[in-house]
Amino acid sequence: MKISRNRRWILAGIAAVVLIVLIALNGDQFDQWMDQNGVVLRQAFVTGILIGGVFGLVAMGLTLIFGVLDIINFAHGALLTIGMYITFVLFDRFGIDPYLAVLITVPLLFLLGGIIQRTIIYPARNAPAHNQLLLTLGLALFIENLMLVVFTATPRSIRLSYGRGLTEIGPLAIDFPIRIAGTTITLTKLAAFIFAVFLTAVLYLLLQRTTLGKAIRATAQNKEGARLVGISTDRISLITFGLGVACVGAAAALVLPFLSVDPLVGNAFNITAFVIVVLGGMGSIPGALLGGLIIGLTQELGVVFAPSSTKLLGVFFVFILVLLLRPQGLLGKKE
Amino acid sequence: MNRLRQIPGDYLAVAALLVVLGTLPFFLDRFYLSLALLILFWAYLGNAWNIMGGYTGLFSFGHAMFYGIGAYTSTVLLVDYAISPWVGMLAGAILAGLFGAFVGFLLSRFGVRGHFFALGTFAIAEMVRLLATEFEFINTSIGIHIPLVRGDSWIRLQFEETFANYYYVILILFLIGQIITITIVRNKLGYYFQAIRENEEAAASLGVNALRYKVISVAISAALTAIAGSFFAQYFLFIDPTIVFGVSVSVQILLRPIVGGVGTIWGPFVGALLLTPLAEFTRSVVRKPPSFLDFIEGRAGVDVMLFGAILIIVVLFMPDGLIGAGKRIWRRFKKQNDTTAQPQGTD
Amino acid sequence: MIKNRKLLALLAIVVLLVAACAEDPTPTVEPVEEPTEEPVEEPTEEPAEEPPEEEMAGPINIGGIHPLTGGLAADGIQMDNAIQMAIDELNAAGGALGGVEFAYLGADSTGAAEVGQTEAERLIGEGAVALICCFQSAVTSNVAAIAERDGVPLVIDVAVADAILDQGHTYTFRLQPNATSMGVNGAQFLAELAENSGEEISSVVYLYEGTTGFGDSVRAAFVEEAANLGIEVLEEIGYAPFEVTDLTTEMTRINSLEPDALVVTGYYNDGLLAARNAEEVGLDVKVVYGIAQGTYDQPQFVADAGDLAECFYDSNYHWDASDPAAQEVRDSFQELYGEEMRTSAVLAYQAMYVIADAIERAGSADPAAIRDALAETNYADHILPYSGSITFDDTGETEVASPVVMQVQDGQIVQVWPTDLAESEPLFPCVSWGE
Repeated sequence: MKISRNRRWILAGIAAVVLIVLIALNGDQFDQWMDQNGVVLRQAFVTGILIGGVFGLVAMGLTLIFGVLDIINFAHGALLTIGMYITFVLFDRFGIDPYLAVLITVPLLFLLGGIIQRTIIYPARNAPAHNQLLLTLGLALFIENLMLVVFTATPRSIRLSYGRGLTEIGPLAIDFPIRIAGTTITLTKLAAFIFAVFLTAVLYLLLQRTTLGKAIRATAQNKEGARLVGISTDRISLITFGLGVACVGAAAALVLPFLSVDPLVGNAFNITAFVIVVLGGMGSIPGALLGGLIIGLTQELGVVFAPSSTKLLGVFFVFILVLLLRPQGLLGKKE
Repeated sequence: MNRLRQIPGDYLAVAALLVVLGTLPFFLDRFYLSLALLILFWAYLGNAWNIMGGYTGLFSFGHAMFYGIGAYTSTVLLVDYAISPWVGMLAGAILAGLFGAFVGFLLSRFGVRGHFFALGTFAIAEMVRLLATEFEFINTSIGIHIPLVRGDSWIRLQFEETFANYYYVILILFLIGQIITITIVRNKLGYYFQAIRENEEAAASLGVNALRYKVISVAISAALTAIAGSFFAQYFLFIDPTIVFGVSVSVQILLRPIVGGVGTIWGPFVGALLLTPLAEFTRSVVRKPPSFLDFIEGRAGVDVMLFGAILIIVVLFMPDGLIGAGKRIWRRFKKQNDTTAQPQGTD
Repeated sequence: MIKNRKLLALLAIVVLLVAACAEDPTPTVEPVEEPTEEPVEEPTEEPAEEPPEEEMAGPINIGGIHPLTGGLAADGIQMDNAIQMAIDELNAAGGALGGVEFAYLGADSTGAAEVGQTEAERLIGEGAVALICCFQSAVTSNVAAIAERDGVPLVIDVAVADAILDQGHTYTFRLQPNATSMGVNGAQFLAELAENSGEEISSVVYLYEGTTGFGDSVRAAFVEEAANLGIEVLEEIGYAPFEVTDLTTEMTRINSLEPDALVVTGYYNDGLLAARNAEEVGLDVKVVYGIAQGTYDQPQFVADAGDLAECFYDSNYHWDASDPAAQEVRDSFQELYGEEMRTSAVLAYQAMYVIADAIERAGSADPAAIRDALAETNYADHILPYSGSITFDDTGETEVASPVVMQVQDGQIVQVWPTDLAESEPLFPCVSWGE
């Protein structure tokens, strides 16, 4: 009781600060500021939302694993790297379009996830939590350096033959990059965002509407109870881990068109993914997407107000606030 | 009874280690001595982490923040104000202790636990790192060089001539750290810590002020960690935010106590004994592989892969750490002996 | 009673182990009750592997320490290979001191100072008489201190921080221009280029990597010199090179500041990202000008970015592209390792030759003698774009070290400034997405 009253006070305090800032910026000053920074602000919104969708997709895999298996998977970023390399090879060797490659990376990574779960995660299911953390750390080291051995450290990137200039998408012909009021939208990021939202919807429906989804949700909520009603929680854990890693496979294919891959590229997404999982609520798919968008926006809006290498500072700040004030996450259910 | 009997043994082990490890500089060359130094360095840090991460059950994933505060405090005091690193070490410990108390209070007050505590400490440590790259007074991301001193200077804590002095400093620090842990574990404080770890509600119902003791354990752990940070700065003579505040520092610090045995007095040391030379060992394997593994010779990355794989195997097969695994084997061995020997009943 | 028994057992174990490990180095894991054993046992594990070097006949060991794993491995591995290649060439040409061969001891710093330090100790312990290192300033600072303590000469191939040589080291030498030289020359060259083409550069925005120290130190030097040259730095925008996934918003902000030029310092991936995002927002500047930028002077940049790469400038340390000998070296590297040789690798290669030259003049492979010879270096036969022989000043900096300005023209990286090293006229102003 005491704590919750405390929280209300703190929330009120934050609201007050925001209000003061808004008032301070009001009037002429605000107009002047907008004249100068309006375009940057708009771009920050656009980029934040587009990139946030991808962050959300990566975090979705993590949140599933976190929710059902209750482990922090530190190899998540490294698995993204694998997915990106697979996409790269498919494009480079076989000329397969990265957006088509999703059809290959997703099942491949699902399989890989299953194997990892069986060989490394499952045997340690009863070990203390810090052991599982160490296992995934060891796995991340292993994967990163396996990639280094196989692909060397030279960064690889791909260039799509389309996406610059007039591009036909079905009946539409759009001139890329789209420029509206000084903001820029590129095909690669737009496509990544649309795919990410689409995949979120698919995953959400899968969890809500299918028996498998119900079993996964039941396991996440109460393992014992799920076992009692006849759900094989071991099998569910396996499938969930596979699904979680498959999400990363999809994200990998979507990211490669605008980001080069090297053995450590996954780290950039790892950190944000953890933040998003807590922000959105452990195990919540819409929460992950919402969290992704918030983090994307926080990060980009930082550029408007204080451009610096500390872009992530705001992200961590939001994270700590959520951790303290709403530990179950924005869309998470209270235990 | 059993516990009381055990504890003097731990103090004895400290004394034995002082003697045995103290003689190492006489018959180790520079390379092996620096390796031994690193073992003790990480063992010391692991022990500091273990106080909160092991005994109190507050899994810190951000110990780099305390480490970096120690490194920067002593370095800034030395470089800008010409204050001896020994004083700086103390100042860093106090500062980190206060900061640790603040972090511990903040997270514990709001009931952040388990995975969330780990992620919370991680995020705070990252915030500290990012801020450090922006602060002008610590030279932003460029870092600070500690001016080289010619010859040996105890006041400046730099030894150009007698490398072994560095080793003795860390040896003494390590042993003091062990004594602190042993003493804590032997006394009420240690029981409170462990009671909180086992069941916070139960501990609270017995009148243990969980918040207070959590804060105390974080503060002690942080202060000890900061001292190692100061030592690191003096030993390596250069620090920047990535080196002392980076995620990899936090990972390195918690790796050894977990592998050795969480919440055991000698776990961090045993973990350091295994892991520190292991990295060196995997590197040497890749440099000169056995003949059937010729193809890995000199391939960058294979050594770290090997390290990762061994880490996974160790954690999988020794879930309660090397100490735990050792105890199990010891018990089995004893049981076999007991059935053949006559019953003693001293246990 | 029981206490005594324990003590006895403890003593017995210690004695036993000391005796045992003297002959049997099996690395058993027995951490149980007695932690005193392993440090004794562990160190005795390896010395057997080190064959005692025969005094005269044995090879001359040269140590190299670079990041072969981790985020900077792309350069580190190439540098390691380049030293090996130089040594193979030298041995094929008869070695040194009348037929003694060189041997290369390569080591992985993993990008971490403490590993670099241990590896330096190891290499010196294994008989390295000179070291080449490190690519990162942090690691280099530390290895330089080791080299100084142990009296083994160190030639820095790449590492920019000025402070490394401000410590009064006598055993450390550097081939690469330092951060100040990069920043100051970078600013001067930019001003000269503009003046030469009748354009004005009166304002710039500086985009730099702000977490590893390298970008920050070059930026600081540039900003100071820019003030002298009357170039206004409108804003300095930092980013985190290993975490950045998008720079579009930054580019839009830069656009809104309307600078004449964008100056960039960073590593390869982020440099490529900056180039792509600059094009996407249609950055309205006269030129994009890299300083010590790890991207815009790499052939890989042209391969990765295609047409977009055109016009990008970079003022950086480099090989002398107008020297056919440099091209030969790079060709044989490509043949051996299947990759375009990076500038960092050329410097590592060059460092080996500078050391070989010193050993020859010293007439001995004694580290102290090599150091003295290095201090007297006057090496004209180099493939770096320096205006004269390589000589080291009192602090160990190469006196003639200077960056050179390159530009992507028709898919080729060409030197365009200073004029005596230029392969082609600089195109100025020029951006690939212009009009």
